[in-house]
Amino acid sequence: MKIGGIAMSTATITARGGPQPAASEDARQPGSTLPSVLLLGAVVGLVLSTGFVLYSLSEQGHAAFNTNSAGIVWGLPIIIYDYFLLTSAGLTMVASIGLVFGVREFEPIARRCFWLALSGLIGGVAVLFLELGYPLRALYAVPLSMQFASPLFWKVLLVGAYTVVLLLLLFTMDATRREPSIPGTARPLGALAALLAGAITLVAGSVYGMMAMRPFWFGGEIPVTFLIESVMGAFAFAIFFTYFAYGFRPSRMPVEIRQLFAGPLGTWFAVMIALHFLFHSGRTVTGLWSNAEGMQVWGHMVASPWFHLALWGGIVLPFVLMAVTSLRRNPAIQIVASLLVMVALLVSRYEFIIGGQMVPLFKGSWAPGLLSYVPSATEWALLLVGLFLANSVFWFSEWRREM
Amino acid sequence: MPKWGMVIDLETCTGCQACTTACSMENNRLPGENWQDVLFYQDGTYPNVNLSWLPRPCMQCENPSCVSVCPTKATYQTDDGVVLVDWDKCIGCKYCMIACPYGVRFYMDEKPLIEPDIRGVFPGDSQRTWNPPYKMPDAVEDRSKGIGIQPKGVVSKCTFCYHKISNAPAGVADLDEDDPATKEFTPACVRVCAPKARYFGDLDNLDSKVNQLIAEKGGVRLKEETGNKPKVYYLSGGGSPVVPGVRSTRKS
Repeated sequence: MKIGGIAMSTATITARGGPQPAASEDARQPGSTLPSVLLLGAVVGLVLSTGFVLYSLSEQGHAAFNTNSAGIVWGLPIIIYDYFLLTSAGLTMVASIGLVFGVREFEPIARRCFWLALSGLIGGVAVLFLELGYPLRALYAVPLSMQFASPLFWKVLLVGAYTVVLLLLLFTMDATRREPSIPGTARPLGALAALLAGAITLVAGSVYGMMAMRPFWFGGEIPVTFLIESVMGAFAFAIFFTYFAYGFRPSRMPVEIRQLFAGPLGTWFAVMIALHFLFHSGRTVTGLWSNAEGMQVWGHMVASPWFHLALWGGIVLPFVLMAVTSLRRNPAIQIVASLLVMVALLVSRYEFIIGGQMVPLFKGSWAPGLLSYVPSATEWALLLVGLFLANSVFWFSEWRREM
Repeated sequence: MPKWGMVIDLETCTGCQACTTACSMENNRLPGENWQDVLFYQDGTYPNVNLSWLPRPCMQCENPSCVSVCPTKATYQTDDGVVLVDWDKCIGCKYCMIACPYGVRFYMDEKPLIEPDIRGVFPGDSQRTWNPPYKMPDAVEDRSKGIGIQPKGVVSKCTFCYHKISNAPAGVADLDEDDPATKEFTPACVRVCAPKARYFGDLDNLDSKVNQLIAEKGGVRLKEETGNKPKVYYLSGGGSPVVPGVRSTRKS
């Protein structure tokens, strides 16, 4: 079959089947042009999208966004930021499965997951900086404020520490970048990064879950939901970008990675999708049942085709694909499942963040019952900025590994 | 130190919106971005229709969620209990707008709520996003208290006219527009209220008019369930539900 124009086998991966490269060796041909081509493409895309965003912002300021004080104050840029940040945190946790918890099968993808984590982090934070009123002031005003009661204070503090630890970790691993195993000196840093990543997801959930005045968001389960979504998304990204790094040709992948993909990875992915389904469906059913003011958003959301696309196409279908043993070992099926989850997570993040703001808090009955919001061209361009920036960092790491 | 609070008598209020206009003039507000708004509620269908209204300033909560969530302490509470925004600390994250249960905060640097954008008619300079012809004296502006013309990229809200009330004579129980001694220190919305539906005074002073009204007429606060403890009380004559804003807007 063809994915993205690149031919690949639909055969189930087996660790023993087909011509295999030697163990403990990156099987991608030295001097492969794939990373450099993709790096160049990402940089060009980044320049174009950033140019458009900066032009819009210089001409209109944040009036280029479709958010306003009437109710929807956090729009697509915040959705993108949280999506990238949580994916980054999840990738670090997935990397730590092998590095920290000693599940050796996961170690071969740890290095790539850490780089993906840094890529997502940089992409997300860049988008946030373009959204904030005073991003540079935030760099010092938040850490120095000692505002312990604010979830955002902790989030910024944790993200700052996480960035530093992740950079140190990648720096520590750089000397052995062409080896599949991680140096022992990196393990404590990996453990610390994973700890911070877990804390980030919980605090990111608290940013919304603590808002008692917004019943759609309020609840102690939200941080746990964020944690699960973060790890599930990380599996999807790890699967997709690992295949991508080898040109979607499983035969080029090192044997350890093939063993992981043929073995426990699909099962772990399926379990996380199942957990996500439980939390998602649980919130939906209770939300639809409740008469409480603010929960009417659920009725509106469930009537939208996007909700069903995310639920059936982005949760149920990937779960089935990963739950059936014969399917979950198929590379093409794994790629499709991971793509579906990646897209559906973005849709769900959009529905969650916008949904919590749709009921006007106190606007009288002449205000609409539910506020509407459609992202502007500049806001969509910010998604491209995040995607291209993250891809630039990731393909730089792949290109560097070739050197 | 006083604990300033406001009482709004809904039985007297005519919904004329003089408070909204006075606040906008006093505090250099953009059209539509009313720190002091009057919300209108319509119940029923023709011919059985009831129209009611609710003046809504910032509630100046005792336990303000906006203060708790602000990651830079730009939103803070003064010793006399007024919640203000320090525009030199605000990063424009808008978390306070998310956390305020009453929707009384405004971000500056977005599409105008009412067209045309008057900022284009009276363009500002580096410090001010616009220069309205009716702006307050420069000496009164105080960025550290969110008083003046709102700069770009920060959030603003009603200050209870802090530039007035903070200069009130010490120990006064009420700031009343009918009392020459306190007239100049009375918030603009209270001072212009033609039917005298608004009262402003020290909630910690047992002799204040606001305390007397709250006790005698059963003053209520909005959204008590949030625990924010507003310092704006409403008098509705004892009917229930007392404030249209607490009714569910959910369709049956």
